Amino acid sequence: MKRKLIVSIVAFLVASAAAFSQNVIDLIVAEAAPDSTQIDTYGRMSGWIEIYNTSLGTVNLGGCYLTDDRNDLKKSLIPTGYTVAKIGPRQSILFYGSGRGEDGLLYTDFTIERGETIYLVSNDGRTIVDSLVIPSTLPQGMSAQKLPVDNKGIKYYQDDKPADPTPGMRNGSQNAESGSQRMARTDPHGFILTIVAVTVVFSALAILWFLFWLLFERPAKMKANPKPAKVKKAKAGDSNAEVAAAIAMALDLDSNGDVYAAIATALHLYFNDAIHDNESFVVTIKQPSTNTGWNEKTQTFRRMPR
Amino acid sequence: MEQIISSLQQFWQYTGFANCAWANIAMIAIGITFITVAILKEWEPLLLVPIGFGMILGNIPMFPGLNIGIYEDGSVLNILYQGVRQGWYPPLIFLGIGAMTDFSALISQPRLILIGAAAQMGIFGAYLLALLFGFMPNEAGAIGIIGGADGPTAIFLSSKLAPDLMGAIAVSAYSYMALVPVIQRPIMLALTTKKERLMKMPAPRAVTQKEKIIFPVIGFITTAFIVPSGLPLLGMLFFGNLLKESGVTRRLAETARGPLVDVITILIGITVGASTQADKFLTGKSILIFGLGLLSFVIATTCGVCFVKFINLLIRDPKKKINPLIGNAGVSAVPDAARVSEVAGREFDPSNHLLMHAMGPNVAGVIGSAVAAGILLSFLG
Repeated sequence: MKRKLIVSIVAFLVASAAAFSQNVIDLIVAEAAPDSTQIDTYGRMSGWIEIYNTSLGTVNLGGCYLTDDRNDLKKSLIPTGYTVAKIGPRQSILFYGSGRGEDGLLYTDFTIERGETIYLVSNDGRTIVDSLVIPSTLPQGMSAQKLPVDNKGIKYYQDDKPADPTPGMRNGSQNAESGSQRMARTDPHGFILTIVAVTVVFSALAILWFLFWLLFERPAKMKANPKPAKVKKAKAGDSNAEVAAAIAMALDLDSNGDVYAAIATALHLYFNDAIHDNESFVVTIKQPSTNTGWNEKTQTFRRMPR
Repeated sequence: MEQIISSLQQFWQYTGFANCAWANIAMIAIGITFITVAILKEWEPLLLVPIGFGMILGNIPMFPGLNIGIYEDGSVLNILYQGVRQGWYPPLIFLGIGAMTDFSALISQPRLILIGAAAQMGIFGAYLLALLFGFMPNEAGAIGIIGGADGPTAIFLSSKLAPDLMGAIAVSAYSYMALVPVIQRPIMLALTTKKERLMKMPAPRAVTQKEKIIFPVIGFITTAFIVPSGLPLLGMLFFGNLLKESGVTRRLAETARGPLVDVITILIGITVGASTQADKFLTGKSILIFGLGLLSFVIATTCGVCFVKFINLLIRDPKKKINPLIGNAGVSAVPDAARVSEVAGREFDPSNHLLMHAMGPNVAGVIGSAVAAGILLSFLG
């Protein structure tokens, strides 16, 4: 049972990896038109499907499937091994819905009809990468298409309104406003951008200042100038001055009092972290490393002849 | 015989002499000047020698269509130039800068970080002026970044915002970086009194290795969350510094700050220089860019020094006051700007060493200019 589960998980992972190995996830069914607005290579008029690559890398569509049937995801195979099936960054490819896939690479085995959904299925034959609904009320000569959410053109949504067909062209406004154009319109003198930018630069560095002060400078100062320890009521386990004095007095009974008082005071200071061992700007001698480096790779090298 | 003459005439058409224009000669002369200044005066020789030679390389007149020019697709120079056009040389330079920069001065005195922010005013001052001169906002942003005194950042931003102006912007940025001592010193002296110049600052505290390791991680997360568009520059800068300070990646750090940064410096210098082809470079716009670049340096230095004087007004303890001569170091020309502070300080008091204090705002300027570039990219890109 366990083995079956592991095999299933591995199979699923492999299938998922195969599905997304070529970033087919970046492809979308961008547009579809059921009516004949394009003339194919045979001079026929037929409906078409536009697949668009939203990524900045080339994606190979070979091995993927197109279908109009949710229950038959392998209806129309896009053959592998053809360069034409590779879609460049932010480019699209058109498939003709002739219903005869044998006509060529760019022909589907189904026709495109109103009221159905076009699915793009990955090369595992199971994973639906994207889909586009063709409304049953789509007017003659119009297409169903997806539009970019913003100027970046990475995310798309299906537009409810019928659109004029734009096969092979980027959907949406061809004159998307750039950031510079927007700033020229909204902030022609640049004062708003300057104020915002200066504020952000100062804020970013002020936050860094605060963090470094909090993390580094403050603890260092506290270490350099420790606050005098408050005299507390002695508790079990406390190592305050009274305890130290008590230790010294106890030890005094046996031996020289001065020595033990010094030891006790030192212990007290040590336990209260009041000793400043790491003096600033004092040259110290580094402890020699116990590592002799006898097995380092450099030991096996021959010296260069001089 | 006729065929030989015809062949020679045809060959003549291919030579530089037949295709030469006065603009090519002018650019070659500028290239030779760069090399001369770099060798004789030792002003930024690591940059000016490759850029100067690149200028000569890019302005050899040639018959078009041989597929050897930097702007011709697929040529060797064009392939090397992609690192500039696509903006992947600058982050690699930043990796090297991170691996060679010691941020101890900044960690020990975090308050000096704000000087690095104040000096970025040069960027935005030049941005406003460029808009006034009729540049589009994206072009103005690319020109403004010259004020950050950071060559890689200037190339990175101009490749994204205004690729057509990149040659002029890069050459302007590197030229003024080489001229930092000449530009900054008179401004610093004009804005400070003798009493201020003699001000002594307490020695910075020693910084532990733990602090140095935590710094790039905290610094990167903080700045990258605020300005994600500056990720390539900030990420590489702090990553390089982590390689240096971690103590366990010595080989990687040495490669980043040694061979890698050297290779990229050669490639960036020669290709930026070669991109200044006369027909694209010798324009009215380029002259304006040079003028605005100079003004941006002046504004940056002025704002840095004045900001320190302002901060001093708020500090009551005279021992904690900051010498305004380190205000100029807020620009990210590391370590040239800090060296100017040191030289100026010792000029008036030979025992007054300001170098370590000035390195704080200087390295803060590197972070500040990368943050500023990120902001401009997010608004104007």
